[in-house]
Amino acid sequence: MHEAFYRVPPLVIGGRTLRSRLFLGTGRFPSPAVMLQALEASGAEVVTFAVRRVNLDETADDSVLQHLEGRDLIYLPNTSGASSATEAVRIAKLARAAGLGDWVKVEISADPRTLLPDPIETLKATAMLAEAGFTVLPYTSDDPVLCRRLAEAGAAAVMPGGSPIGTGLGILNPYNLRLIAEEANVPVIVDAGLGSAADAAQAIELGASGILVNTPVAKALDPVAMARAMALAVEAGALSRAAGRIPKRLYATASSDPDGVLEPLSDRAAEPAAAGRRVTGG
Amino acid sequence: MSRAAFDFRLYAITAESCHPGRDLIEVMEAAIRGGADIVQLRDKETPPERLLGQARALRELTRRYGVPFIVNDYPELALEAEADGVHLGQEDMPIAEARRLLGEDKIIGISTHSIEQAREAVRAGADYIGVGPVYPTPTKPGRPAAGLEYVRQAAAEIAIPWVAIGGITLDNADEVLDAGARRLCAVSAIVGSPDPEAVSRELKARITAREAGHAADAAPPAEGPIRLRLNGRDTETTARTLGELIERHGLKDRRIVAEVDGEIVARSEWSRTLLKAGAAVELVHFRGGG
Repeated sequence: MHEAFYRVPPLVIGGRTLRSRLFLGTGRFPSPAVMLQALEASGAEVVTFAVRRVNLDETADDSVLQHLEGRDLIYLPNTSGASSATEAVRIAKLARAAGLGDWVKVEISADPRTLLPDPIETLKATAMLAEAGFTVLPYTSDDPVLCRRLAEAGAAAVMPGGSPIGTGLGILNPYNLRLIAEEANVPVIVDAGLGSAADAAQAIELGASGILVNTPVAKALDPVAMARAMALAVEAGALSRAAGRIPKRLYATASSDPDGVLEPLSDRAAEPAAAGRRVTGG
Repeated sequence: MSRAAFDFRLYAITAESCHPGRDLIEVMEAAIRGGADIVQLRDKETPPERLLGQARALRELTRRYGVPFIVNDYPELALEAEADGVHLGQEDMPIAEARRLLGEDKIIGISTHSIEQAREAVRAGADYIGVGPVYPTPTKPGRPAAGLEYVRQAAAEIAIPWVAIGGITLDNADEVLDAGARRLCAVSAIVGSPDPEAVSRELKARITAREAGHAADAAPPAEGPIRLRLNGRDTETTARTLGELIERHGLKDRRIVAEVDGEIVARSEWSRTLLKAGAAVELVHFRGGG
């Protein structure tokens, strides 16, 4: 692991040290086989699911778990489909009864067009589930104050969205995200809206501890390659952040010292354009 | 005794010091005749290598009656005596290590004293858990009682078989059952009684009466199909229990979770859960999602 070598602090959630900063969703892949290959390529340890009714008309097993049994993974079921805290708690308890651990991603959408999370119900559900002993990771708006309140309510990590789910618009409010990461005393996982590896690296450089992606991998032209790209991007982001970037400046600074710059040849010295200022940069 | 089919109602544990002058095997046989349907050899004083004779005798006895036999603390002894499994305490080896020693077929149970420990045990793959001590107990002096509140928490949440234990007697069994217990364990109340068979019979009767009570509340009024709502659709079924309904849909061996009228029903309770007309049944599982 390169991160350990360069002394990047490991990501710890709910007392568990994670192998990867990349969390992978399991929806919308072209096939279970592609999903498994992408999972392999991503190196993700935390995988997300939805809780849904069994399709009683289908005899074939469409459960995603049958493909994952026996792997060393942390299961993070979401509460998608819930529109209130009470419904989210019900879904979380159903998920826990499957016997695959007590992590849960609170996801309570308030609006069908944007699927943006309902902040009030999300906060309520987080408090209720933390009280009931769950390891709670709420998907939330990118609001620094709300994220703080979620951590106070017992969230094990907060998961602000970069932009609405599945849009691939990337991080629309880097200022807020930086603030959330700066103030948080729990890990920050950027969830939703990322489009490509560039967004993934940006999220980590801004101070996030990890990212959760599903659509940008599952719907990429080559999901397996994108899964790998995301893995490299989060690692690059973490190293880049730990390395400490240069401050941004308005004007150029030369990367070579001006001392020892060659004089122009004498027969061309009379050229009018070069007569005023000498440029020594580059 | 396969792990998957494993379940019980009344758990009897040996305690030779409770019946001086009487033979261990006779006392345990009386308990089984009265209705104990799982037996554990527990002896913290004697080194395990000197317990092999007793373990083998109990194995022979329980095999004759077809009840599972569990050894407390010592996986090696459990293997040597061909027991069905082992029971661990919080201070004993981790479940994973016991599983490695015992293989996939043996039952592993563990004592828990708080809902956090219970959750951890479920996560770690326990086949059943002990929930207690419900009351202060002479067999575990000095351990504070976890109380009926912990029984209620377990009833609300724990999906694998769990048994209330610790100071349970005929005098308090009803309030433990009221708190939601479906299985009871008694130590001194059974083996310390002059008539272990009678005490076991009465405890078992209380447990089954409570089950029948639950069943009567839920029983359909008449024969013939009943109507219920299954995964959001109106359905008619002649299945009498949730277990039958799930089996008819070919879902018995799938990793699904069942909910009836908003309450999660643990897999071990499916076959005992009678379907009521008008009930709302939800069968869910995990599908792809972000």
